[in-house]
Amino acid sequence: MNLLAPSNLWWLLLVPLLWWLSLPSRPRTQTWTPHLAQWQLALAALRRRPPRLSRWRFLLLAVAAAAAVLALARPVQPGQPGPRRLVVLLDGSASMAAVDANGRSAWQRAAEQLAGALPTVPAHVEVTLLRAGGPLLRRHGASARSLQDLGRPEGALGVDLAALARSVAAPDTAVWTLTDGQGQQQLPDVGALSWCPAAGPNATVLAVRLEDRWPLPTLSLAVDAVVHASGPTNAPLRVHGAVVAEGLASFAASPGTVQTSTFELTRRDAGGRLDVAIELAGDVFAADDTWSVVLPPLPAPRIGVLVDGDGGLFANAAAQALAQEVGGEVVPVAPGREVGLLLVDGGRAQVAPGTVRALTFGSALQGGQEPAPWRLPVVGDWDRVGPLTAGLDLSELRIQQAWRDVLPPGEAFLWADENGRREPLAVVVATGDVASVHFAFRLQDSNLPLLAAFPQLLRRAFVRSYGAGAAPRVLTPAPGAREQDLLQPARAADRPLPAFGTEDRDLSPWVLVVGLCALALRAFVR
Amino acid sequence: MKRRLPWPVVPPPFPAPFVQRLHALLGQPVSFAGAPDPLQRARRAVLSQSGTFVGHRPYVRGDDLRRIDWAAYARTGALYCKQLEQEERRTAALLLDLSPSLLAGSVPRRLYLLRAAAILGGLALVQLDGLTVLAPGAGEAAVRTFTSANALPALLAHLQELPVVTATPAESIGLLLSRGLPGRVHWLSDFAVPKEIERPLHALRRRGAAVTGWLPELASDREVPTSGYVRVADPETGAELVVPIDASFAAELRHQLAVLAAQQDRLFAQAGAPLVRWRVPALDDVSTAAYLPLVARGSR
Repeated sequence: MNLLAPSNLWWLLLVPLLWWLSLPSRPRTQTWTPHLAQWQLALAALRRRPPRLSRWRFLLLAVAAAAAVLALARPVQPGQPGPRRLVVLLDGSASMAAVDANGRSAWQRAAEQLAGALPTVPAHVEVTLLRAGGPLLRRHGASARSLQDLGRPEGALGVDLAALARSVAAPDTAVWTLTDGQGQQQLPDVGALSWCPAAGPNATVLAVRLEDRWPLPTLSLAVDAVVHASGPTNAPLRVHGAVVAEGLASFAASPGTVQTSTFELTRRDAGGRLDVAIELAGDVFAADDTWSVVLPPLPAPRIGVLVDGDGGLFANAAAQALAQEVGGEVVPVAPGREVGLLLVDGGRAQVAPGTVRALTFGSALQGGQEPAPWRLPVVGDWDRVGPLTAGLDLSELRIQQAWRDVLPPGEAFLWADENGRREPLAVVVATGDVASVHFAFRLQDSNLPLLAAFPQLLRRAFVRSYGAGAAPRVLTPAPGAREQDLLQPARAADRPLPAFGTEDRDLSPWVLVVGLCALALRAFVR
Repeated sequence: MKRRLPWPVVPPPFPAPFVQRLHALLGQPVSFAGAPDPLQRARRAVLSQSGTFVGHRPYVRGDDLRRIDWAAYARTGALYCKQLEQEERRTAALLLDLSPSLLAGSVPRRLYLLRAAAILGGLALVQLDGLTVLAPGAGEAAVRTFTSANALPALLAHLQELPVVTATPAESIGLLLSRGLPGRVHWLSDFAVPKEIERPLHALRRRGAAVTGWLPELASDREVPTSGYVRVADPETGAELVVPIDASFAAELRHQLAVLAAQQDRLFAQAGAPLVRWRVPALDDVSTAAYLPLVARGSR
């Protein structure tokens, strides 16, 4: 018998206190009598006994107290030696989705083996499940036994299962590895092993480089693909979906060689999903055959112009330049008529910043203060890394007059140097996929329209006004490294789970029962 | 080791007020009962109901008719009583129980036993020829004889110096018999264990001894507390008892004490000896009325 909390045995020192408390109280009145025999006879006649310490009653009380203390010390009967923990190393890499001849993936087979074996693991065994590959997941206890939320195979394995198994294995810890052997030099040589192979030919779209010319409809694709098969094969590479005409290329490279195919495509105006797929007969791993992207719809590049005073020349020229840059047109502004971008130069515009795709130059906005003139502001700096002005040269920008208090709160990207302080000259205000760009000066009061960077600035302002909605969204993660060649996985024979150690038997309840029996027996002892 | 209760302290038994009262008591017109000592002559002439004829005196009313000398009446026509003189020595013996059991009581019974011994011994010194004080177990002071009324202070001093010793009734009677029954025996004790006095009493009866038992009776001999939680101890044996007292126990204890008293009375009656129970007065009560019953009973 072992004691898990032997320090609690110090409570046995209370037994002498119990003995002292069990003593009958001492009378305060003491007297002499020559008739002690008569006192004794009177007691005997009444069948009474003088108060005294009953040794049996105290003995039973001491036994009960000792039993309680012993139960506190948590006595246990040691169980059979053996592992008390089980660590399951589950290969969750993308290759586990490869299917065998029966159409069942290695992931399914591994999950079935776990579901069949874990219920037979004794309840006292602490089970921990580590999913390697893709997101690293750890499940423990009941969560591990119920295989809760293990996800699906994806990503690269990224760990050496053999080394991991060796580091985890211990006399009280059993390791069980479930893998297809893909991407491993060797399989673990310790613990249990379940090998779930799904070897076969596999074609993979490794990478796609997309050059999107939004808001123009054209785009180009450079597709890297590879085929792993036992011999030369021909696999068509197809681009289909949100394009006007599908692209098709034949893949005739030798096995294991990466081939790059390029496509020049024209997207549909509504945008949508675009798939790049390679087709190989007998492919056991279909998850890496396709690369998908969602293309944003083309904007309506209709540019409206609002001009105050005599600045219309510059504003219209800017609108024309922008229309030319984005392939749109300049349309007159009228109530109820939709435009893709509103270009405003001077005056007061009923534009709420960040809610309308607009480009304003020296315009007082809705709810703004009355602007005050700002003579000869000196351009100090501009944002060198932001999407609006990165790579542009605005050093030659000269401004005769700007207006204070016309800029709404927003993200500044152009500043004037005023007494050593930076005062914004232009800001962008964004709300979701809508943004507006505001300058503190009119076009006619500066040489901005004359700068070489002006058309590019206009196009970027247009794209920026559409926010993230103008960016294509790739749906397919990059295929994991060493997850493509499924012909040569590491191999090893399956090994069963070891016999687990039995649980320590808690003797506390039995000790408590002994104590309770002693108390019960004490009730019958006088 | 069990802690033993200290014995109670006995107050001085013969304070000055008591000694003064003692002299008054000894002057009471009573006749203290003694017994003839056939081995010694009387130290002084004392008229008696038997003995040698020493003369006549005129009859007075109340005289015993048996003592009228009818022959003298025939000769003279007048009534005369015969006067006889006792020639044998008349003495008394005090047999004292000095055991620790007499230390019991709110005022120890030993104090009253010594006062009773002083009164009885004083009467014997005043009215008889001598007094023998037997104190079994007291060593050299076990036997002491006093012969005249002038020896009263010596008697009191002797009584006061007697130790607390344990002696069984059998040992006490053995000491008495070894002295040849010196006169009437006054046995002063608490007679707490009646069984132990049965055989000595019968032995004295067979020897023809005149014995009177004196038992200073304390209030605790009759009354007991009706409630409480007390520890009682026997000073003689040291035995202790812890007792919760309730009404039923008090009634039973009173019954047992009554049974004890009845046993004591029966044993003395069977031995043809009187047992005098003297209800002791308060410690500071030295009035004549408090001690007169002792004198009265001693004269019977």
